[in-house]
Amino acid sequence: MSYTIIETCTGCGACVRICPARAITGKKKDVHKIDGDLCIECGACGRVCPSAAVKDQFGHVCVMVKRSQWKRPAFAGDLCMSCSMCIDACPVHCLDLSEAKGPKDLHGYPYLKEEKACIGCGFCEAECPVGAVTMVVPVQQETPKKTKPAAKTASRAAS
Amino acid sequence: MNRGYMGKVLIVDLSKGEFREETIPDEVYEKYLSGIGLAAYLLYDRIPREADPLGPENILGFVSGLLTGTGSLFSGRWMVAGKSPLTGTWGDANCGGSFSPAIKRCGYDGIFFTGMSETPVYLYIGDRKPQLRDASHLWGKDAIETEEMLQDQHGPGARIAVIGPAGERLSLISGICNDKGRIAARSGLGAVMGSKRLKALVLDGKKRIVPYDRKTVHKLSRTCNKWVQFQPPLGPSIGTALIGALLRILPTAMAMDGMVYKMILRQWGTGGMNQMSPEWGDSPVKNWKGSSVDWPLKKSKSADPDLVKKSEYVKYHCYSCPLGCGGKCSMTGKYSETHKPEYESVLALGGLCMNEDTDSLFYLNELLNRAGMDTISAGATVAWAMECFEQGILTLDDTDGLDLGWGNASAMVALIHKMIDREGIGDILADGSRAAAEKIGRGSEKYTVHAGGQEPAMHDGRQDPGFAVHYSVEPTPGRHTIGAQLYYEMFQLWKRVRGLPKKLPFQIYHKNSKYRATENHALETAACSKYMNVVNGAGLCMFGTFLGIKRTPTFDWLNAATGWNKTPEEYMEIGMRIQTLKQAFNIRHGIDPRANRLSDRALGIPPQPQGANKGRTVPIEKMMADYWSQFGWDPSTGAPTGETLARLGLSGE
Ligand code: SF4
Ligand code: SF4
Ligand code: SF4
Repeated sequence: MSYTIIETCTGCGACVRICPARAITGKKKDVHKIDGDLCIECGACGRVCPSAAVKDQFGHVCVMVKRSQWKRPAFAGDLCMSCSMCIDACPVHCLDLSEAKGPKDLHGYPYLKEEKACIGCGFCEAECPVGAVTMVVPVQQETPKKTKPAAKTASRAAS
Repeated sequence: MNRGYMGKVLIVDLSKGEFREETIPDEVYEKYLSGIGLAAYLLYDRIPREADPLGPENILGFVSGLLTGTGSLFSGRWMVAGKSPLTGTWGDANCGGSFSPAIKRCGYDGIFFTGMSETPVYLYIGDRKPQLRDASHLWGKDAIETEEMLQDQHGPGARIAVIGPAGERLSLISGICNDKGRIAARSGLGAVMGSKRLKALVLDGKKRIVPYDRKTVHKLSRTCNKWVQFQPPLGPSIGTALIGALLRILPTAMAMDGMVYKMILRQWGTGGMNQMSPEWGDSPVKNWKGSSVDWPLKKSKSADPDLVKKSEYVKYHCYSCPLGCGGKCSMTGKYSETHKPEYESVLALGGLCMNEDTDSLFYLNELLNRAGMDTISAGATVAWAMECFEQGILTLDDTDGLDLGWGNASAMVALIHKMIDREGIGDILADGSRAAAEKIGRGSEKYTVHAGGQEPAMHDGRQDPGFAVHYSVEPTPGRHTIGAQLYYEMFQLWKRVRGLPKKLPFQIYHKNSKYRATENHALETAACSKYMNVVNGAGLCMFGTFLGIKRTPTFDWLNAATGWNKTPEEYMEIGMRIQTLKQAFNIRHGIDPRANRLSDRALGIPPQPQGANKGRTVPIEKMMADYWSQFGWDPSTGAPTGETLARLGLSGE
């Protein structure tokens, strides 16, 4: 199974640029195509497509989301066992293991090293066996009271 | 249907520079699992009889495990297999780090190399078609330099396995390295890679690894992890050493629970046994001639686990491991850091050579990792040379002036440099002790300790006869990572597999009973071999399985990952099939299993006059025959019978 692109595609190429598996091809202004053998179903193309032209593996049309609103992994250090499965799962290699936490705990722990590179796919969350990764919208984009203007500030910050 | 495996392998013909993908039918996984079983299945009839291990007909396979990437714990082991140039038998080696999932993320359960390239090359797999790229600029570079250069070029996501200069120079005791200090060291397969002029594999695929039921796999992992995280404070390492001494003095032994070993691993790593092991006779000393008397605490303190730990600055976990027995250590001198020296390296380069120089242990550890040479065989070969020197078989003229007196650390360092560079006497020693003794002659053969040409590890069969049996009967002779009486106690297989003898944790028994060739011992050794083939098909770490089958649920993980519904007995039968196929491989290649018997000295023939294993002899002939009977192999020759082959669905042709 794989994501697909439908005729509403305007050929802007946003998906080509973000696809970590380099699964998307197409000429500018032409309808693009996803290679089903290469697609890893990360959903990034659907989140960037401005023309609602990407369908997920279940056939639902994806909704574009402002990148600042994409979920990012947050790590629960007390649950984490430093197994690095999340790091391995990340298709854009934006996670890394930290230095030792301190003299009492020589383990390194995963952290989001390249925040801008994260495509919000949630593979890290899905592959962590102990539930130490949770996908959340980055904190600095939220206001404490969840009032409406928050979205506006966020979108301006992102553009 | 997603079943945790990728269902495909890649065949690379290095002579022609061609690639071929091969789809593996589901039935093969059901009969052989993935990992070592898949490798045995594919290599059995594809490596021609009489193939020169260092010739183009030999096939070198890199395989991941069935459980790797499915969400199970301890499943980050990859294996390399082929015909061993060191022993002429089936050869394989096992390694951790982050390379195992990378094979699967390229869409393959295994990558197999045939033929031979004319010039140095490396394999690169990214999002597109696999490529062989020029590696001339990397040839001659050490394993870590090579890895760093390839990492810079291909980015942080690339996972890399390489050979060092030892493999390039076809040293028969060379291995294949990854993650800057992990090495698939045994069976001499680094030389096979060198003979093919394959410098490295660089894997950067992004395929997803999808188990049948990830939720259940994760649930099993969480329970397992609870056991791993249970860690009471252990106190200073001298405690372990004193327990070792106590175990030596008592006339009785106690069945071990793997939780104890787990705690030691978590605290210190494998090196937690550095002082305990020689005390109770588990580690050989002075080329297997010495004993605990020759390597007392005041000498073994050179590798005191707490001392080693002082230099550790961060823990190292292999992929998917909750335990983290590894570490990175800082050091002074030419190299600024090294992966924490493992127990095997420390004892082979330490006690076996009577070397008390801590700095040299760290230096040699890093030097050998970079060269891509097996620390066990290197240490054992130096120990052998030292005894030859003592006996006057080797003189200063032979050694280019190096005084190979016992424990001479600087001479050891110089000698190992020569072995890596194949210079002077090092050229002879670079192929291990058996090959060296054949070249030197003059009675030096008498002092070699090997099984089928491979130096056994730092676990003494005179203390635990299970080791002696496995060294002697495994299709990869000299292997310490399959079974032992101790391992049987820790695997606790009787809790899941019907018909196996119980050995309840902390049960006390008389030491003499270890040396009797009983039916139960035969059942136990056979069970260890079968189980470890399952474990190596799954790609699990042996240390994880030491927690016991209930805490580390190998069979349940396999069922959840594949959607099968196999019983533990059915898995053990798969293990038996893989073992039999490997043995049939050896028969096909003209190996006489009886000839792989461990050297007399390591069996207590004659018995040691003093020390922890004083007076002990392993009744090896009977134990080997009993083991072969358990598998339905001819007890007088070790060859699988036609009936057994037919029952397991193997042709034997
Ligand atoms: S879902 Fe991800 S991998 Fe698939 S085409 Fe879209 S961006 Fe590429
Ligand atoms: S997968 Fe989970 S437990 Fe493992 S390192 Fe990542 S967050 Fe920690
Ligand atoms: S969500 Fe996780 S796996 Fe996906 S890109 Fe971000 S960090 Fe990587």
